[in-house]
Amino acid sequence: MATLKEKRTCGQRCEDFGRFVWNSDTGTMFGRTPEKWVYISLYYVAFYVIMTGLFSLAIWTLMYTLDPYTPDYQDRLTSPGVMVWPPTYIEEDVVLSYNTSDKVSQRKMSNCLSNFLKPYNDTSQQSNRNCTRGEYFKQEKFEAPHHTKYSCRFTQSMLGRCSGLDDPTFGYNGTMPCVIIKMNRIINFLPNNGTGMAPHLNCTILSGHDNIDMIEYFPTNGTFDLSYFPYYGKLAQPTYVNPLVAVKFHLVKERKAKIQCRVVAHNIAYEDSYEPYQGKVVFLLKALK
Amino acid sequence: SVCVMKQTAANIDKAEEVLERDGPNELLPPKGTPEYVKFARQLAGGLQCLMWVAAVICFIAFGIEFSRGTLGCFDDLYLAITLITVVVVTGCFGYYQEFKSTNIIASFKNLVPQQALVIRDGQKNQINAMDLVVGDLVEIKGGDRVPADIRIIFAQGCKVDNSSLTGESEPQSKTPECTHENPLETKNIAFFSTTCLEGVATGTVINTGDRTIIGRIASLASGVGNEKTPIAIEIEHFVDIIAGLAIFFGFTFFVVAMFIGYAFLEAMIFFMAIVVAYVPEGLLATVTVCLSLTAKRLARKNCVVKNLEAVETLGSTSVICSDKTGTLTQNRMTVAHLWFDNVIHAADTTEDQSGQSFDQSSETWRSLARVAGLCNRAIFKPNQESLPIPRRIVVGDASETALLKFTELAIGNMMEYRERFKKVVEVPFNSTNKFQLSVHELEDPMDLRYLLVMKGAPERILERCSTILIKGQEMPLDEQWRESFQTAYMDLGSLGERVLGFCHIYLNENEFPRGYKFDSDEMNFTTSGLCFAGLISMIDPPRATVPDAVMKCRTAGIRVVMVTGDHPITARAIAANVGIITEGSETVEDIATRKRIPVEQVNRRDARACVISGGQLKDMSSEELDEALRSHPEMVFARTSPQQKLIIVESCQRLGSIVAVTGDGVNDSPALKKADIGIAMGIAGSDAAKNAADMILLDDNFASIVTGVEQGRLIFDNLKKSIAYTLTKNIPELTPYLIYITVSVPLPLGCITILMIELATDIFPSVSLAYEKAESDIMHLKPRNPRKDRLVNESLAAYSYFQIGAIQSFAGFTDYFTAMAQEGWYPLLCVGLRSHWEDVHLQDLQDSYGQEWWVSVWGLLIEICQIADVLIRKTRRLSIFQQEKVCNKITWEVSILMGLIKQSLTILHVFPLGQWWFVPIPYGILIFVYDEIRKLGVRRHPGSWWDQELYY
Repeated sequence: MATLKEKRTCGQRCEDFGRFVWNSDTGTMFGRTPEKWVYISLYYVAFYVIMTGLFSLAIWTLMYTLDPYTPDYQDRLTSPGVMVWPPTYIEEDVVLSYNTSDKVSQRKMSNCLSNFLKPYNDTSQQSNRNCTRGEYFKQEKFEAPHHTKYSCRFTQSMLGRCSGLDDPTFGYNGTMPCVIIKMNRIINFLPNNGTGMAPHLNCTILSGHDNIDMIEYFPTNGTFDLSYFPYYGKLAQPTYVNPLVAVKFHLVKERKAKIQCRVVAHNIAYEDSYEPYQGKVVFLLKALK
Repeated sequence: SVCVMKQTAANIDKAEEVLERDGPNELLPPKGTPEYVKFARQLAGGLQCLMWVAAVICFIAFGIEFSRGTLGCFDDLYLAITLITVVVVTGCFGYYQEFKSTNIIASFKNLVPQQALVIRDGQKNQINAMDLVVGDLVEIKGGDRVPADIRIIFAQGCKVDNSSLTGESEPQSKTPECTHENPLETKNIAFFSTTCLEGVATGTVINTGDRTIIGRIASLASGVGNEKTPIAIEIEHFVDIIAGLAIFFGFTFFVVAMFIGYAFLEAMIFFMAIVVAYVPEGLLATVTVCLSLTAKRLARKNCVVKNLEAVETLGSTSVICSDKTGTLTQNRMTVAHLWFDNVIHAADTTEDQSGQSFDQSSETWRSLARVAGLCNRAIFKPNQESLPIPRRIVVGDASETALLKFTELAIGNMMEYRERFKKVVEVPFNSTNKFQLSVHELEDPMDLRYLLVMKGAPERILERCSTILIKGQEMPLDEQWRESFQTAYMDLGSLGERVLGFCHIYLNENEFPRGYKFDSDEMNFTTSGLCFAGLISMIDPPRATVPDAVMKCRTAGIRVVMVTGDHPITARAIAANVGIITEGSETVEDIATRKRIPVEQVNRRDARACVISGGQLKDMSSEELDEALRSHPEMVFARTSPQQKLIIVESCQRLGSIVAVTGDGVNDSPALKKADIGIAMGIAGSDAAKNAADMILLDDNFASIVTGVEQGRLIFDNLKKSIAYTLTKNIPELTPYLIYITVSVPLPLGCITILMIELATDIFPSVSLAYEKAESDIMHLKPRNPRKDRLVNESLAAYSYFQIGAIQSFAGFTDYFTAMAQEGWYPLLCVGLRSHWEDVHLQDLQDSYGQEWWVSVWGLLIEICQIADVLIRKTRRLSIFQQEKVCNKITWEVSILMGLIKQSLTILHVFPLGQWWFVPIPYGILIFVYDEIRKLGVRRHPGSWWDQELYY
């Protein structure tokens, strides 16, 4: 292999590279004549045009075949997530912390809640129906106007002392703050598999048992009423609102506790340690002086 | 000095003392590499290093992730372990293969310990040749191997074959007289490991073991370093490219990741994942499997490969410098033609006597056969009746052996035949009278005449004849007969054959009655006025398989150059016979004769063929030799010395050829080492030659080389396919990152997922390509040009990356968007979704249907159409439908296995593909169809733009 192993100097290498860039003997530039460069470029342009065309066709076919009301597959999303409001974070953990003597921090919390509750005020909920409590609100047909389905009314006032109607500070001016728990919506999801048992919220204290005197749920028992299920999707129920449960904590002593709020229903999973928001939410509640 | 006598030991006690001092009389094998170094070498090739680096990177990544407590950090650890396992397992495999072939080679040595007849304390003893010491007195006789370097002190008609040492094919006679200061030239030294052909001799041992002449040459050759094999160079080239690309892309993504706000360590892990993703894990296994499989296949065809990589070298060979004797020819003199009754008859020269014989009904033939059989001193060694005649061992010189076997075949039991014609007197051949004669009684006891039979150089025989036997009748030998004799003699001579004349006479009963005292020295009997019986010519005939093999080489674009120590005429005749010089090709001399012009006026370019003798070669400069090799496609070098063999090899290499050299002698070992691939002969080859060679032909058959070439080419092709396959998947692995960054879609393919695809699913398909059969026209293509036809070239990379890789990427995107859309995320929503998607605080992200998602990032495994890719990569040129077995079993098994593994990825908390398995199938079909179109174009329009750009 003597022929391949010749040690070449840098100068020779540069010269070789120069010849590669422009070889006057064969009229080639970077290994091809300009004419050939045109051909190969055209070939690649044509190739990519056709490929893009095929790709667009594939995507168009895909969109054409999709059902606008329900996704084809729901195997990824089988159990709803749970969120807490106001959602304030320190790094990855939910920490609801406010200062009882600082109006600014109180207002931040209460404003967040009142903003969140805006879609739930009476005027917004005017168009929704007052449904029969305690049973699923199943609709086979599109009976509402504009080929939609009815949604059930959930008004702010249902949250009682946490509605912000009589106490616009939501208790953040003192040691009895309200948090609002929302369960994520999933199309056609029936809690407790249609057994007619309503799911309810259960908050437990993970640490700082002594610092919480009492937990109040609104609506009573922390029930998510069955009439809000099933959800039929954005297109079918444009005015749907998630049912909510508000929780009022009576803080004492150190006024600090770690709380887990779980939606109890036997088809809502909550034990996957990889997914901290599945079926439950854990947060730290702190009222500073 | 060689000519000065030394004191002889010849004493048992002294001998033991000297043995103690000098060590045993044997060639020490060249200092073998220690086994652990051999094993370490298996672990330190170019690809192996790349994988070690990757494994180290994985360990680092594992360290980083583990310390941060990242979930799934053990994937990195597993990956590192797998990488190391792949390297070690393939290393063991390769080591085992080489170990096995070393054993096969070793088994050829010392089958029978050599014996020597030594005289110590005045007693003749048969001892092991290993125990000989300097000063011992030894006796050798015809058929023995000379047990050490000895100085002859007594000899009788002793001839030795020095061909393995000096390349001279003529037997050298040895006498006690010192004729030259140079030990190689003087007549009184016989060399270790040469063979004594005839006669007897006694001599003193002057050198033993490695201090013998042959020992010195052998150790000289083992000093020459091994050249790198072409495949090693190609793989290094590939590793350079891969490493460059990996670092380039890795660094680009690192920078981009830093830019879009990833933490340094996370960006580092990106970098590492991409670098590792680029490492072709499957390739190492493929290379090893390819080489070992082929080595195994070749071993079945009597080729033992010492160095696995040499298999591929044979495939890129463009010139084979072949020995004549033993490789192209059968290495036994055989009667080829006979001239009697004024007609040249051709004898059967095939190895197994399957050819046509001539008409044996003539009376002349019977007389000729009788002369040939009786005037012959060669005898069969006893107890060989079960062997076929051509295979039997004969004591005697080459032409007498040929005649003995020929007559044995034609007449039958010669030993018994000679008994019937009792020999009375005999005059052996000598160089002055150039004939041999014997006088016999006739088999008919009533006939009291004596029969004198004579053979020798034809012109000398004819001088002594006055009549000629034609159809059994004695005719006066007139001018007309003399002329036809001359013509026949010339004709046979021009075939490169050794011609002998035969004559006989019935001695006058009255002049030579029974009991007449014949005197072999005085020659007191009639030796002229004899009756000429005929001519018999002999040649070492080519092996039956050789012409076909040479033809195959020619169609495969490989030049076969004959390099021999034999006469130019014989060499040329054999070359013409086996097709090295084709019909109608002329040398400069031929053209000169035909045109009746002086040799100088002939245009050298008109002559296709050229025969150069060692003498001419000596006077040529290296430029002239290069020029000769360039201008004459058909070359024969005759009467060359071993050093000249080396010069010829070097000249071929200067012209850019990859040269294979065959050889058997010790003197060939430098050329075998110098050659890109040295091929030693298993039967005739000396140990030194076998040590220097990369490959050994167990049956000394040239045709095996052709098989080797085919296998070597197959390896190169299969590796190319495997690499094309490996390269392709890099693109569909990188493009998800590209869209992730540019259009901010959720990350379609996680780092770990890439690694899983690589490891779990890619090793098997690339290995399956190693089992690919040859595309049927593999031996009709020119050998690859090592400077241009690289393993990885521009068109292969461009086709893999920008065409097939692009189609696969589109397939991946389609699959990704389909999966996303069917789960609820429309393509347009995906665009720009990345920041929300990765926001850990946003746990109620709404999809296109209004559902709220708590899921953090889930990896989505894109299906890449690698199954289709495996299928198309099976052929580079021919349509897949033209391949005999479209899908070999293994590929199918592998595809199914791949599917199973992809399914099992679910366990490793990677997103399972589930129902989206079938989405990319249309793209798979597209790849298949596109590649068929490409191949069709390449086949239909060779040399066209399409071929240039799209054939890899």
